Amino acid sequence: MKRVYLGEFEEIVLLVVAVLDGVAYGVNITHEILEQTQRSVRLNQVHASLQRLEEKGMIVSKMSNPTPERGGRRKRIFTITAYGSNTLKDIQQVRASLWNAVPPTLKSAHA
Amino acid sequence: MSPSPSSHPTPPRWATRLLEWYCAPELLEEVQGDLLEEFLLRCRHDGPRAARRDYVRNVFEFMKPFAIKRKPTSNPILPMNLLRHYFTVALRQVLRHKAFSAINVIGLAMGMTCCMTIFLWVIDEQAVDNFHAKGDQLYNIYMTVHARSGNQGSYNTPRNYRDNKTYLVVDDAKTSIPEIKGMAFYATGYSLPWGHPETFQVGDKKHKLEGSRASADFFTMFSFPILAGDANTALKDLSSIALSRKMAVLFFGSPENAIGKSIRYENKIDFQVTAVFEDLTPHTSWKFDFLVNWESHMTRMDWASGIMQTTLLLSEGANVEDVTHKLNVFVKSRLDKDQPFSVTLGLQPFRDQYLKANFTDGKPSGGRIEYVRIFSGVAVFILIIACINFMNLATARSVKRAKEVGVRKVIGSPRHYLIGQFFGESLLLSFLALAVSLVLLQFLLPLFNQVTGKHIVAPITDGFTWLGLVGLAFVTGIMAGSYPALFLSSLKPVNVLKGVVQFTQNAIWFRKGLAVFQFGLSILLLIATIVVSQQTSFLQHMNLGYDKENLFYFPIEGELAKYDKFQALKQKAAQLPGVMMVDRSSEAPHAMGFVVDEDDGVAETQNPDDTAIKWEGRDKGSMVGFKPTSVGFDFVKLMNLDIVEGRDFSRANATDSADAFLVNEQAVKEMGLKDPIGKWVSAWQKKGHIIGVLKDYNTNSLRERIRPLIVDVKEYEYFGVILVRTEAGKTREALAGLEKIYKEINPNYPFDFRFVDEEYNKMYRNEQVMTKLSNAFAALAIVVSCLGLLGLVMFSAEQRTREIGIRKALGATVANIVGLLSQDFVKIVALSFLVATPIAAYLMHQWLNGFAFKIDLSWWIFAFAGIVALCVALLTISFQAIQSARANPVDSLRSE
Repeated sequence: MKRVYLGEFEEIVLLVVAVLDGVAYGVNITHEILEQTQRSVRLNQVHASLQRLEEKGMIVSKMSNPTPERGGRRKRIFTITAYGSNTLKDIQQVRASLWNAVPPTLKSAHA
Repeated sequence: MSPSPSSHPTPPRWATRLLEWYCAPELLEEVQGDLLEEFLLRCRHDGPRAARRDYVRNVFEFMKPFAIKRKPTSNPILPMNLLRHYFTVALRQVLRHKAFSAINVIGLAMGMTCCMTIFLWVIDEQAVDNFHAKGDQLYNIYMTVHARSGNQGSYNTPRNYRDNKTYLVVDDAKTSIPEIKGMAFYATGYSLPWGHPETFQVGDKKHKLEGSRASADFFTMFSFPILAGDANTALKDLSSIALSRKMAVLFFGSPENAIGKSIRYENKIDFQVTAVFEDLTPHTSWKFDFLVNWESHMTRMDWASGIMQTTLLLSEGANVEDVTHKLNVFVKSRLDKDQPFSVTLGLQPFRDQYLKANFTDGKPSGGRIEYVRIFSGVAVFILIIACINFMNLATARSVKRAKEVGVRKVIGSPRHYLIGQFFGESLLLSFLALAVSLVLLQFLLPLFNQVTGKHIVAPITDGFTWLGLVGLAFVTGIMAGSYPALFLSSLKPVNVLKGVVQFTQNAIWFRKGLAVFQFGLSILLLIATIVVSQQTSFLQHMNLGYDKENLFYFPIEGELAKYDKFQALKQKAAQLPGVMMVDRSSEAPHAMGFVVDEDDGVAETQNPDDTAIKWEGRDKGSMVGFKPTSVGFDFVKLMNLDIVEGRDFSRANATDSADAFLVNEQAVKEMGLKDPIGKWVSAWQKKGHIIGVLKDYNTNSLRERIRPLIVDVKEYEYFGVILVRTEAGKTREALAGLEKIYKEINPNYPFDFRFVDEEYNKMYRNEQVMTKLSNAFAALAIVVSCLGLLGLVMFSAEQRTREIGIRKALGATVANIVGLLSQDFVKIVALSFLVATPIAAYLMHQWLNGFAFKIDLSWWIFAFAGIVALCVALLTISFQAIQSARANPVDSLRSE
């Protein structure tokens, strides 16, 4: 089967979830993306992506225990699934092999 | 604003609320948490202002499909979605077919208004005499007299003589029948309540009021509220009298003031006020402003009639049949056995005395309850007619709806969903109609009260009423929606979608049958209306045998009971301008109630053969119920009576006042006389000869047949009425003059005159009300039916738009097309006429049987009703048909 299509932004979100291993939730994902990519990301975009990723089965979520911060509200903690990390690896491989095929002149020009 | 924004900044509350409102509940917690965290971070970096701005922005940004709350997709218990869908579709249908909807709603609203009005009336009728706390234990005694002439029933009580005193034979039944806990006697006149008002006086205050006499248990058995005094002792003493609040205020200023005071009756007897009761409500069939102690009635007062009603209070759970049996055993031992008749007693619940007061063959049988039933029936009929409109229109339109049904079925709608949908539509319309009819009712009730003489108020504050109204709308909706719901939902989608909506012959017949039924009912009501109003006007304008115009009377009372005063008044009155003739009669001539020698079970004498009236050649034991009256010499001329044989009384004939009798033709017949003139007759102590025979004339309402009449002549009598015949157009003048004379001669009594024609008409109040109501209902039924017809024609015209276009293009005239469209409906009206006529004829025949004098059911009544129905129907049809026929064919054919 062909693997599921992953949008560019979704890919970034998925990567960040993987980076924030086990503590990823809406706000820190947003800030992480902001810091790493300098893109102006909005919370709602992240939430929407997370939901789509969960529907696709790339991540799973569970509610954290309540803490006094955030007015006692729980967080939804996202973790990447095996299927999600395999997808990331696939993408990585495709990119790497393609990158290897790029002519050396182009590589050095931007290096 | 929060007091210290720097230390504890909060996001704008409204934004939070907005978020809570739209956000899906399962996402709310995390989203809210994230937004708050973000807000606090921004606060630290950029300050609270920027943080708030950002928070609001975030809230709005979250309004995305993934986060917005969704309606629950399904609810297994109550399919709210589906219900809402039904009503949405129904509303769209209603708005799309405005004309049809209007016809439906108006028709239903009329039916409902009619139904509600009648329902209120029925409730009001049933409330009469039905408010007494011990009502379940109260029973009226009715007396059945079995005589040769048949069985007679009445609310009377048998009496007997003992020690030269009349007494009621049941008066000590309480001691021998343990179930009887209380017993109340109440006296009435021939014409309820008492027959005539009586005069009371306190100091200079003098008023005439109607009341009666009742026994000591009266106020403890019945729940008439006592304002002052004690219910237990209210009527105990010989001189005690109880007054209504109105009467107490009239004489003494207040109920409390009246207690213990003395009040003079007819300038003869002084009574002491022992109790004051609340004015009677319209829910009492008895009408009295005062009640006098029973012993006074039996020993020292005039009777208005010999009718004395007995009401028993039975112990709780007493067996009525047992008590009746015991009562009969009890009475039998106390009545004379050698009467030519026998008497049995029966018990009827007291609350039935208003609605079921007629007697047939000696037993209670209906009465006003029949009007209640008839009108309830009419109400239901009209509602049915309105419902049929709905069914018919819905069925007719089903050709269009059929496709919708097909599509719905193909998509997977189960049949019961479709049934629900059609019921939804009809319920929507019926509730709309309910709203309209409530408004209508507010306008109609005052009018209705005026016609029926009631004081009905719509009980809009009562919870049960609303429950009833909602129930009515619901039942109507279900009834009206039943056919389309059950029929349309049964269509097979394959046939429908293929485009062949073939109604079976049955369905077409059903539709036509409904229309026939509807019009049949309308024609029935129309015929009933014509008959009732004809009969009423016949009664009012029938030649009674005497001239009731320009004739009034007033009672002989007070000073007038003295011979010289009576003569003085008579002579002075006769000379007044405008007065043609003055004379006396022992009873008002239009309503003579007294019948002597009738087998009425009231033994006034010991010997059965010792009747009051005897005549030459009478068979031993034969009895004729005479109406006896004693009149002045000018009575026959004054009344304009015809003499068929013999001569009138004459002052010139010295023997007349001692020897002469007039009888009417009916009397001659019943007495069995061949050649009446000159035969001897004796009436009570007076013996004389028949000098003339009067042509029969009516001495009471026309419900009663003409009865034997015996008239003797006396210049003067201390009771009865004075009759005055005035010249046409000069009545006012005559009355003014007479009142002056009356005040001089009889100052202690108010001048209480009544016109014979008005009093006569009052006896037909029921019929007049019937006439007005049936007029209204018939009109309503016709209008509602025509609305239905209009709807059907509109539909049929719409269906045949193209046909009409083509016909016109090919040269059909407007008349052709109108004929084409009308044909079917004319057939329907004709058929319903054929169905309705025999039923109407039968019913009207039954109704007319209640009258001794009645109109013939001539053919023209039916023909007229048929023609009216046809004309109205044609008018309705042509309203639409002409419009369709005149349409330009270009417009109708262009759409192809």
